[in-house]
Amino acid sequence: MRKFFPVEDLARDERFNQATNEERMADPRGTSNTGVIRKARSTNRLTPLRPDATDAARSLMHGIMVGEIQALEGAGRTCFDFVTGEEAPFALKLDMARQCWDEARHVEISVKLSEWMGTELGQFIENTVLFAAACSQDPVLRLAGVNRALEGLAIDVFTTMKEFGELAGDPYLAFCEDWMLADEVTHVKMGSVWLRKITENDPERRKKALEFQSVVDKIFSYGGLRSESDESPILLARRFRELAGFSDGELTEIADVSLAALNERREAVEKTLASSPA
Amino acid sequence: MADPFKARNPFAPWDRRELPGMFDVEETARRVGHYKWAEMKLFEVLGGWIATVPEIDVKLRLGTHCYKHAWHAELWHNRLPELREMNPERLTVAPNDAMVRFIAALTEPEAPEMTIEKLVGVYRVFIPHFISAYTFHLNNTSQITDGPTSRSIKFILQDEFDDWRDGEMLIQTLLTTPAEVKRASEHQARLEILLIEAGGIAGPGTIGSAFAE
Repeated sequence: MRKFFPVEDLARDERFNQATNEERMADPRGTSNTGVIRKARSTNRLTPLRPDATDAARSLMHGIMVGEIQALEGAGRTCFDFVTGEEAPFALKLDMARQCWDEARHVEISVKLSEWMGTELGQFIENTVLFAAACSQDPVLRLAGVNRALEGLAIDVFTTMKEFGELAGDPYLAFCEDWMLADEVTHVKMGSVWLRKITENDPERRKKALEFQSVVDKIFSYGGLRSESDESPILLARRFRELAGFSDGELTEIADVSLAALNERREAVEKTLASSPA
Repeated sequence: MADPFKARNPFAPWDRRELPGMFDVEETARRVGHYKWAEMKLFEVLGGWIATVPEIDVKLRLGTHCYKHAWHAELWHNRLPELREMNPERLTVAPNDAMVRFIAALTEPEAPEMTIEKLVGVYRVFIPHFISAYTFHLNNTSQITDGPTSRSIKFILQDEFDDWRDGEMLIQTLLTTPAEVKRASEHQARLEILLIEAGGIAGPGTIGSAFAE
């Protein structure tokens, strides 16, 4: 088996359809590319009151499920791709193996929740960006991109889904999301601890890793998906991120990036509405 | 109530543990180092294969089992300094070159169509050999002086049996034609030959000798 496994080769059964992030952004059917943009709601936060709440929640849950599959695959590759002791510490690999087990359980949970919500496996497209972030040849960049940026986003997503379950009167959903949230905080913490430990005497490597994390954070803030504003579907979960080792400065930076992305989207919406016939 | 000051035997009547054991401290450390090396190779390859198998149930089992073997490696890693090996990496090695070749052959399959080979290597060859090596160790070590190793082996063996059953059942669902059965048995034989050459997970004498001297 090769060291370093390319994202294009991820193995899936016949039900799954994959797309890269670039393909998704360039999809002419995307709302921001067609000019068909819904007028701003008072809130875009995923709540049961949204008219499209059912489909949005099902789509998000499917996204969580495929994201968990890729997180499982990414953590597994980190166990294999690096020579123990030389390229990655033994204890780091043990953490990645633990993450494999956790992510496998998360897939099991989200498959069952998806079925509960009436979704079939593969019903929505799979964006492979998470695994792409796990393909770096430097384990520190993987920790920054996956454990800190993407698992950090998972903290935000699970917090939002947990609230959705509580508001919708679905204790089953809220219960499961809370368990997954606990695991994600642990995974982000692993990323924070190892990033600091490995780059303790290598400021240049740390800088590169944090820049990579920032790029991944930016990708996932695209279109104002996640911020502290009600206009974003997913809320930035400050408290849980603090537990996971994010500093105040880092949280402010993510909040600023997210807000900037939301403002960009607002401007795009206004421009489109102004140029479209009444 | 019985008189608390009446003299009692240190060993209860049902406690039949014995002092003698086949392994001294050095031999135990040597074996534990090989176990750790083998468990590491196993959890690493299980992790690596997750992305390569299309079958979702197999993917999830590999992820779960990957952690269990990492935990076994950690148990052995922590045991080594207790066996006077202050540099655990020194003994974290393969017993011989044949074992290295076995691991190379085990980890070779990558293509998504090779799930049978991947599972056969682990669940029909490697894990049965772990079960043998650990059972031999448990049954031959001093039940009193080497209590910590015995305790770890008992935890580990439970995992090995559970995982072997999971893996074997997955293999049985994948073998649907005579050609697939042949593929599985040929791959199993190829790997088994390499392990015979290695003498087992801890090298020659891994499970002692069954022949009268």
